[in-house]
Amino acid sequence: MRRQIKLIIASLCLLAPVAQAMAQALDALSYETVEPPRIKLGESATLRITSFGRLKDVALPTIPGLVFEPIGRSQGFDFVNGTMIPANFILIRVTPQFAGVFTIPGLTPNSGSIGLEVVKGDEPDPYTWRNQQPAPAPVPTATLPKGVQLQAGGAAFIHLAIPAHSIYVGESVPVEIDVGIRPGIVTSVNGLPTLKGSDFTFSNLSTKPERREQIIEGGNFVVLTWHSALAAVKPGDFSLSTEAPLTVKMSALSSADRAIASRLAWPLLQSMYNGVAPRDMTIESSPSKLTVLPLPTEGQPGNFSGAVGDFRVSSDISPASVAAGEPLTLRLHISGAGNFDRVDSTMFDHLDHWKTYPAKSSFTPVDAVGTEGEKVFEQPLIAAQPGEQTIPGLEFSYFNPNTRRYERAQTPPIKVTIAASLASGTFNGATGMQSPLGLRPDHRPAQYSVGDLRPLYFRVSFLALPTTLALLLAAGWFAVRPDPARANLKAARRALAQLDAAARAGDFMSFFETARHVLLQAFAARWQIPADQITGAELKARLGTTGEELERLFAIAEEARYSDHPPGGADFQRWLRLIRGQLAGESR
Amino acid sequence: MRARGISMLFAALALWVGPAFAQSLQPSQPSQPSQPSQPSQPSYSADGLYNLANSYARAGKPGLAVLNYERAALLAPGDPDINANLAYVRASAHVPMQPRSRLAGLVQAISPTLAAWLGVLGLAVVGMALVSARAASRLRWLRGGWIPGCAMLLGVALIALSASNAMLLWPRMHEAVVLIDQAPARVAPVPMGDTAFVLREAESVTMTAQHEDFILIRTGAGLTGWVARASLGAVVPPAGND
Repeated sequence: MRRQIKLIIASLCLLAPVAQAMAQALDALSYETVEPPRIKLGESATLRITSFGRLKDVALPTIPGLVFEPIGRSQGFDFVNGTMIPANFILIRVTPQFAGVFTIPGLTPNSGSIGLEVVKGDEPDPYTWRNQQPAPAPVPTATLPKGVQLQAGGAAFIHLAIPAHSIYVGESVPVEIDVGIRPGIVTSVNGLPTLKGSDFTFSNLSTKPERREQIIEGGNFVVLTWHSALAAVKPGDFSLSTEAPLTVKMSALSSADRAIASRLAWPLLQSMYNGVAPRDMTIESSPSKLTVLPLPTEGQPGNFSGAVGDFRVSSDISPASVAAGEPLTLRLHISGAGNFDRVDSTMFDHLDHWKTYPAKSSFTPVDAVGTEGEKVFEQPLIAAQPGEQTIPGLEFSYFNPNTRRYERAQTPPIKVTIAASLASGTFNGATGMQSPLGLRPDHRPAQYSVGDLRPLYFRVSFLALPTTLALLLAAGWFAVRPDPARANLKAARRALAQLDAAARAGDFMSFFETARHVLLQAFAARWQIPADQITGAELKARLGTTGEELERLFAIAEEARYSDHPPGGADFQRWLRLIRGQLAGESR
Repeated sequence: MRARGISMLFAALALWVGPAFAQSLQPSQPSQPSQPSQPSQPSYSADGLYNLANSYARAGKPGLAVLNYERAALLAPGDPDINANLAYVRASAHVPMQPRSRLAGLVQAISPTLAAWLGVLGLAVVGMALVSARAASRLRWLRGGWIPGCAMLLGVALIALSASNAMLLWPRMHEAVVLIDQAPARVAPVPMGDTAFVLREAESVTMTAQHEDFILIRTGAGLTGWVARASLGAVVPPAGND
């Protein structure tokens, strides 16, 4: 029993590495795919892990720009070399966050990394094979134009397409020439088609006609089309046709010989093939009728240049504002359909206040033959004087075949502003005159000048002047300050003079009144009190006995004021001495 | 005695002002109007600058023409020829011109030099009126009062006129004219600075600051930028520099 246990343990130990190896082998039998490998930003791809063994949970990788989200796991079958093998699947949704090429490392042991390309929009997939050449369009089937027959043994045809209606002399009408050839039979076209008839002018044909392939009457034809313009030089009924030189492989045998040869067997049939050789020939279109009408003479404008068609006119000028003496360009635009080779305009031969130059013209066609387009006439003009000027409208006359009458097209007048020329001012030296070109003339040479453009009041040297002046005036103001002592002295002198005069005249009333007033004013100034507050007691207190004398003087003055008689004690000299003594004391 | 002192004060003022006034005017050499040339010594006259501007205008240089018209207008603001040609050249160069108010036109009708002297005269008149009123107690001819009053009024008016003229003229001390067409105004005072906008030749701008070879300017529309010094011409050139 123990031996059996040992045997089992030994067997298990021996089988363990094998089991481990098998497990590793099963793990190794797995692979990963991502579908689709190329997605747009905003879409998601599916990462599928296929395993043929035990499938463990896998750790989701961390890749900047990619978000991994497990969808689930399932079981199924996978085909390996045509054999269906059971397999386990783990599905993971991969959502990109920005565009780029990402590498997703293997999520299972021994599995390789896979790539995922994320694009922003509808960029072409460089890995997808495309045929750059578009599929050839099927050759259209067409019929021969009416009245046209195959020529050169059915290998070519020619057709002239002209207007069915009548035209006018000089009118330019478009025409088409179609030459159909069978490739291989017509070996070459040996020249441009030509128009038969000398009464028409034919614009130059292009050496590179339009080319198209058509199936006509069961055969492949290459149809060459030339566009041109035709104009009649004189009126009348005409028959028009065109012809073109070709080289065609044709049999030299007659039709009877070809019939005999066709009945013979080879090698005699070879003679029929040997009779086929290139041959130069000219094919001609069937004639077409065209009526050409004369231009009416009635109502023909004097400036009619022969233009026939339907035209529109306009004009412009550039630049719209220039200085006098500078050129500007006047343009006349004539557009529409017609014979532009006869459209002509001399613009302005003469224009007041303008210098005119010959006009130049240029034509820009909008179709292949030049019957439609625009012709521009450019005329340089130079204004002779400034100001706002008006250029008259331009007139263009033509014959309109649609209305069957002459028409005059006129452009509106154009206003331009001409500035005065800066480079041509006058130098007459007269002041106050506006020159014709806007710049006033020079002045006479200056008599005085300054060394600094700064105004005086912004210069320090000048500002010293008013400052000094202000200081001087301030000093003067203080210097003339009034002196009260001197003023009192002069007032006292004037008062004494008045008192002397009154004493000599014996005018006691005036004497005493003046004396009282002068003394009160003097005492008021001396004692710095109001004059009406000076009383007898005040005088006694300040002047003693003299005060008593003065009090008596004031009493006499009061008496003299209210009495017509002379007061007692009217000793003028004594009072004068007293008053002089008081005033002199004050002045001291 | 006092009247004698006042007379001496007047005499001193006359002796002080006279030479200063005479020094402010000095004879000039006649300029050559037909040749756009700069004098070697700065010597400006309204007529000379006007003729020089005319020659620049005829030579098709509106920037230099406007600069010299502006300088001429600084010396003779009431000259109709200068103002007419300045307006004409600006219009030809398609440079807008700021309209001037009537008051500014009235005040700036007199030349700054005259305004300066009138201001000095006004100051003297006011000062003398005050001194006279102070001394009126002993000057009988001034006792009436109306003479000092009128003199005071006149003096104050003259001072106000001079001050107004100076205040209106002060911004032009920092004005400059663009001398080059399509002169770039850069965002930084370096040659490789980005261009903020371009200036039209003959356009007037205000200089607000400077850094090496660049000047910070402000246009009439309020735009600011650094412009190369060589592209501008100051209306009032710095002292000692034309």
